[in-house]
Order: sequence, then structure tokens, then C-alpha cells
Amino acid sequence: MSDWGLALRQVGIAAVNVLCVILAAPLAEGLLRKVTARIQSRQGPPIIQPYLDLMKLLGKEDVESGETPVMQRLAALLAPAAVLTAACMTPMGLRAPLGPWTDVVVLVYVITLCGISTLLAGLSAGSTYSLLGVSREMMAMMALEPILAVMLIAGSLQVGSLRLDDVLSGSVYGSGGFAWSGLILLCVMALAFQAMVQRMPYDTSEAETELMEGPIAEYSGPKLAMFKFAQMAKLVVYGGIAVGLFVPWGSDGPLWLAWPVFWLKLVALIIVVTLIAATHARVRIDQAVRRYGALLAVALVALVLAGMGK
Amino acid sequence: MGPREILNGLRAAHGEGIQRADIPSDTRLYLFVDRGALPSICRTVFRDLDARYVISIGADDRPYSGSFMVAHDFAFDRDHVLCSILADVPADDPTVPSITPDVPAASWAEREIRDLVGIEPVGHRYLKRLVLPDGWPEGVHPLRKDFAWDTVPEDYDEDRPFRFDDPPEGCTVVPFGPFHPTLDEPAHFRLYVEGEMVRGCEYRGFMAHRGIEKLAESVLGYNDIPFMAERICGICGCVHSVAYCQAVESAVGIKPPPRAELIRTVMLEIERLHSHLLWVGLACHIVGFDTLFMQSFRIREPLMWIAERICGNRKTYGLCLVGGVRHDITPEIADELRGVLGTLTSEWRDVVKAVSRDRNIQSRTEGIGVADPALVKEMGIIGPVARAAGVAMDVRKDHPYAAYDRVHFRVITASGCDVWSRVLVRMEEVFESVGIIQQCLDHLEPGPLQSPLDDTLPVGRIGLSSVEAPRGESHHFLITGENNRPRRWRVRAPTYQNLQGVPSMIRDQRLADMTIALGSIDPCFSCTDRLETVEIATGKLQMWSPEEIATLASPAPGVSTPEVHRR
Repeated sequence: MSDWGLALRQVGIAAVNVLCVILAAPLAEGLLRKVTARIQSRQGPPIIQPYLDLMKLLGKEDVESGETPVMQRLAALLAPAAVLTAACMTPMGLRAPLGPWTDVVVLVYVITLCGISTLLAGLSAGSTYSLLGVSREMMAMMALEPILAVMLIAGSLQVGSLRLDDVLSGSVYGSGGFAWSGLILLCVMALAFQAMVQRMPYDTSEAETELMEGPIAEYSGPKLAMFKFAQMAKLVVYGGIAVGLFVPWGSDGPLWLAWPVFWLKLVALIIVVTLIAATHARVRIDQAVRRYGALLAVALVALVLAGMGK
Repeated sequence: MGPREILNGLRAAHGEGIQRADIPSDTRLYLFVDRGALPSICRTVFRDLDARYVISIGADDRPYSGSFMVAHDFAFDRDHVLCSILADVPADDPTVPSITPDVPAASWAEREIRDLVGIEPVGHRYLKRLVLPDGWPEGVHPLRKDFAWDTVPEDYDEDRPFRFDDPPEGCTVVPFGPFHPTLDEPAHFRLYVEGEMVRGCEYRGFMAHRGIEKLAESVLGYNDIPFMAERICGICGCVHSVAYCQAVESAVGIKPPPRAELIRTVMLEIERLHSHLLWVGLACHIVGFDTLFMQSFRIREPLMWIAERICGNRKTYGLCLVGGVRHDITPEIADELRGVLGTLTSEWRDVVKAVSRDRNIQSRTEGIGVADPALVKEMGIIGPVARAAGVAMDVRKDHPYAAYDRVHFRVITASGCDVWSRVLVRMEEVFESVGIIQQCLDHLEPGPLQSPLDDTLPVGRIGLSSVEAPRGESHHFLITGENNRPRRWRVRAPTYQNLQGVPSMIRDQRLADMTIALGSIDPCFSCTDRLETVEIATGKLQMWSPEEIATLASPAPGVSTPEVHRR
């Protein structure tokens, strides 16, 4: 195939991914709400409710508030942009779209941008509660981003490549056979994923009953819709990365099989996230950071093991 | 030790200060003392006799005796005696020596007396306004008898902002309130925060004053007030209505018939059950455990329905009148109630199990919001907060009222002094309440619901009444008066004392724990703010005619509008 043909195909896959995330993210949120409601003996909203919520927010007046409205607007755009860019790089049932032109390092940077957008949002509001949310978000980021980076690098070490296609296909378990480091990292991921997607018990930086939504307290209307959407999409994209790293089985089959299998795995993951979120109380920020620190330490041990090929 | 022995002891120590004493029953002691002797007598009562501080009351008695009056209420819990220490204050010199240096718990009450009655507590170290807004003119005191209930002072500046204290060095101010998702009512804590640690706070509340006490003293009649009292609180309304009725009954010596007392007890315990279930749910919500919040509310719902079956309302039962009750519990309702309690008990066991097992809830609540027995004593803290500190204080046992002397129950205590202990205490109390209701239903004998009431009640009698609300003791002080209404009626809701302990409970704790620490006393700002007068009532209240109300509640199409009765 010519270079141009390849490029077109890859961009096409990226577009499919972005479209899927845009469509699936609110649905995932709806599923999450419905399952939560059932656990709580409630009827729950219809599964398409998040779409309606977003539409409603998008239709509202675009109010400027906070100390620096320009930064506020920028942050609201940066959040979904970063998540969707990450979606362009993550294999979601198809091969990694922008595979040939990006690598693991870029993915780590893009994901960090998601967190940065929250920081910007909080700083632009300038209220005490949003600043507290920012400081919590920063503490969480400093521990959580390295965990994800360590996992991706461990995978790269195992397969000897930084290419996303190679890394996001169960690389942590090693190219041949089975690596102990992979198993350790799987445990770490199981414990940290809830925090990475900011769901209970780790939604410390927003914590409605403590911080009144923290960094996004000043947001409303379309800008709030952007943030809400980014949060929904985060669950799907991070879920995609987790599935790619740790649950690769079935993804190398033919397209008609690999694609539905990927999304089924994602749905299963979301239900697990929901179950954990609905049955746990929020931890305090210091307790959370202590847990993240411990997880990071374990992840680093696993990285050393992976470096030794184990 | 009965009231007579207490009096003899005090006479021996403060003979010349005590003018006279009144012992209307084995459970009440009224001491009339010189105002100069107040601090020393109160110190003896509070420190040496180890009585619990309840509340201080200021009253404008000028139209009757020519002077102001101050009363300090204490409770001798072990001896089952409620005591009021009263002193006259000359009209031309409205000052009284402060007891706050000896009894720290009296701080708010004395500030309130200064605001509302204009009696200056000399020696009080923090005489900032408590109840009145900063824009209220100096020298205007709403609870004085020459201040009409519907007055708005000419120079009242509604928009004047509050003047706050300066934060300590190195601390930033985090405003907690006036509106906050976990507060549900307006109240303002200015937290002094260092990083995530709270170093202190200033409280500014009393934003939802409705002038209930003033209305009772100037507009309503004896048997209107129970319904007004019920509206003091949205959760423990029945408590206030019972407490008021008992205060009148104790002042004039009426005894409600046994069946009425049993029905009061049943309704008070239904109220406690629904409040405990609601609070445990809210505590779970505050620490982010919404599933248990939802389940608590689901389990609570049948209680609301059975309350509606008994008195036609989920809340605000309209139960009490002076000398009796208005609703009967028929055998059918009693059976239904037994069924509801059975289901509740088994479902609540599951919740208790789930909460006790949850390590996140424990780690969020253990060692948080600590109120140790010393703080309980100094601040007059009551109810589940005191019991969670190992202080076995329960008005139902210590000062039995209604039918509590006829039922068996345990006073649940815990020793952790923290939020977790409060959760444990309130979860366990649910089972005790169920037991009390079941015993009351077994005791119900046919009989009248209402004692005959003379048209005119004697004037100038003092009545004290304490009722154990779900959150702690509600105390009512009352002086009977002319025109079929009391001269003075003072309501002390449990939050009034417990809230004064909050600054100590949150000091040097994390900001994240502020909500659960505050939530753990189950603060009721509407109870605490009940007092004050006027400005909102006359300034902004829109009057609706019956027709307009009828149009508001527009019926579904095809349904005929019920006829509106014109006044």
C-alpha cells in the first residue's frame, strides 16, 4: 500500500475511534448510573439520560465567571481535546490508529494534559474551594500519572518497543510466556483504576459534600458540558488503555470478532467500576495519597522486574 | 439526693444569697437569688454538685414586677432534678454578672440575652452579637415587652455585611457556608485553615429567625403554641410540641391521662426512629457512601407512612395539646405499626452489619470530631454526642416524662468520643426505640385522651420540661401569663449546646473531615435559630388570599375545585 493509502486508513481508524468514544462515553455513564441505581434500590434514569444532560447543558447560556475567563474557556476545551487525542492513539478493537507516528511517550504526555486541564480550571476560578480541589488534584496526579507511565514503560521493556500497537496488546505479560511483573502490575491497575478515572472512593478532588465540585465549581452551561463529557470519555479511553495493556485476549482475531470483544470487555470493566463505586465510602485525600504512594512503590518494583525480563 | 437536700446544701454555702426557694415537686427546684450571688451559686452547682448546664433565660418582667429577670437552668441528672436559678435585675440597671467564666457552656445564652433582652452580662469575654444582625440598631431589643412583634426599626440596615474577626497569623479563611451542599440550612463557619488543617473557626448563624417565641408571648394562645412549636424543627417537631405542653403542664399541675402519655411516647419514638435512620443515611452520604444513604431512606419510608396513618401527616403530626393528645392509636393501626417495626428491625440489622463491616467508613470517622467527657461537661453537650463519649446521659431515664417510667430500655453508650462512636450509638438506639414502641402498644388501655382544662390557667408559674430529642435534650422554660398565653417561653434545642462544642471538635483536623464532624452532631439550624423577631415576617412575607392559594394548587383537569371558605 502506498504511504498515502496507509495514512488515510490510519486517520480513518482514528476518526472511527473518536466517533465511538463520543457516542459511547455518555452511554457508559448511563450504564453506570443505571447499575448504581439498581444497587441502591432505585429505578434510575433512562440509560440515555447523560446525552440529554449534555444537550441541555450545551443549550444553556455561556456565562463567563471566575478570575480569568479566558483560561477557564481554554481549560474546558483542553479537557475533551486531550481525552479524544488519547482516543486517537489507543487501539479500541481496531489497531492503534496513529500507530506509526506516535508512541508511548506521547500517550503519557497527552494523558497528563487531562489532569492539567483540571488544574487550569481550578486556578481560573480562583475560589478557595476550587484551589483546594486543585491542590488535591495535584497530589493525586503526582502519584497516579507515574503509575500509568510505569505500566506503559514496563510493557515497552518487555516487548522492546515504544510503538503503541506493540505495547497496548498485553505487553506487560512479556512477548513470550508469562512475566511476574505483569501480574503485579495487573493488581496495581485493579487498585488504581478507580482513582485514575476519578470515581468513588477516589473522587477526592471534586468531593461534592466536601469541596462542592472543587475545580469545576465555577463552571456552567456548555463549558460544564465539555468537562462532564471529558470525564465520561476518560472512563472509556482509560478503560481502553487498561484493556489493551492487561486484557489482550481475543483482540488479535479478525475484525468482526476483535471489535465487539473489545467493547464487551470495556462494558465489563465499567460494571466493575460501578460496583466498586457504589459500595465504598470516599477516602480522605491523605489516605488516598498514601495508598497511591504504596501502589507507585509496588509498580516501580514491578518495573525493575520487567527490566530484568521477569 | 432530692431537691430539698440540694437546697439545704446550697443554703449552707450561700445562705445570704438565696432569697427564697420553691419546690413544687420532687423533680423541680426553683431558687430565687440575689443577682450578685449568681456566679458563685452557679459555680457551686456546676462544679461542686456536678450539675449539667442547660440554658440561661432572660426575660422582660417589667410590666409585672418592675424588673428584668435572668434564669440559669441546670439539670441534676443523677438526682432526677431540674433546677432553675432565677434573679431579678433592676429595670434601671440591666446588668448581671456573667457566669460564663465559671460555666463556659453559658457563652451563647448570655450573648443572646444581651442581644434580645438587653441585659448586659458583665465579665463575659466575648460580647459579640450572636443573634441580631450587624445592621440592627443599638439599644433595640426584640424580646422586650415594649417592642411589638411586628416592628421593624427605622434604621435597620438589612444589607450591612457581618463584621468578622481577623484570622490567626498564617491561616487562610475558608468560608464554610452560608450555603454549602451538606449544610441544607444557612449557617456560616469561617474556617481558619493552614493547608488542609483547620486551626479554628468563627460561627455566624441565626440567619433563619422566625420569631416564634415572640409570637407565642404576644399573639398566640396556650393551645395554639403546640402547633407553632412543632414547626420549630422539620425533624423533631413532635419533641418541641411535647416539651412545650409538658412545660405548661408542669407549671400549672395538670397530668395528662395515661393513654395520652403512651401515645406521646409512641410518636416521640417514631420520630426518633425516622430521625436516626435519616441521620445514619446522611452520615453515609457525607463520606460518599450513597448506597447506604439510599437504603436507609428506603427502610425509613414505611415509618413515614405509618405516621401519616396515625395523624394524617408524614411529619408535623399535630399531636399534642396541653393536657393530652389529639390522635388515637386504634387497634388496627397498632397492628400495622407492629408489622412495620418488625420489617424495620430485620432490615436495619443488615444496614448495621454493612456499616460496621465497612473499613472506609471507619477510617473516615474514627478519631474524627472528638468530644471527650471534659468537653461534654464544659460545653453542656448532650444526646448521642455525649453518650458516644461514655456519658450515660438520657433525659428519658434521668428526667422521665410521658410514659418512659413505664418501659424498659437501655441507654446506649460508646467510649470512642468520635464520629464513629456516634454512628454506633445512633444505630443501636434504633433497636431500643423499637422495643419502647412495642411495650407502649402492649400497655395501651382504653381511656380518655385529654385531661379537662380550666379556662384560665394560673399566672406567673414557672414550668421546666426536658424531652430527649433524637439529637439530644430539648429544654423548654416557661412562665405562665395573662391573656391565655405565656409571659415567657424559651426553647433550647439540642444543637444550641452541641454547636458550641464544634469549634473544639474540628480544631487541628483536616478540612475534609469538617463536614462529617459537623454532621455528626446532626446540627439543626432551624431549631437553633428559632428565636428573633420580625424583619422577614413583616418586610417580605407575601400574603396569599385563600383564592390565590387555591389557584396555586391547581387541580388536575376534570376535577372540581373544592370550595374555598372565605374568612
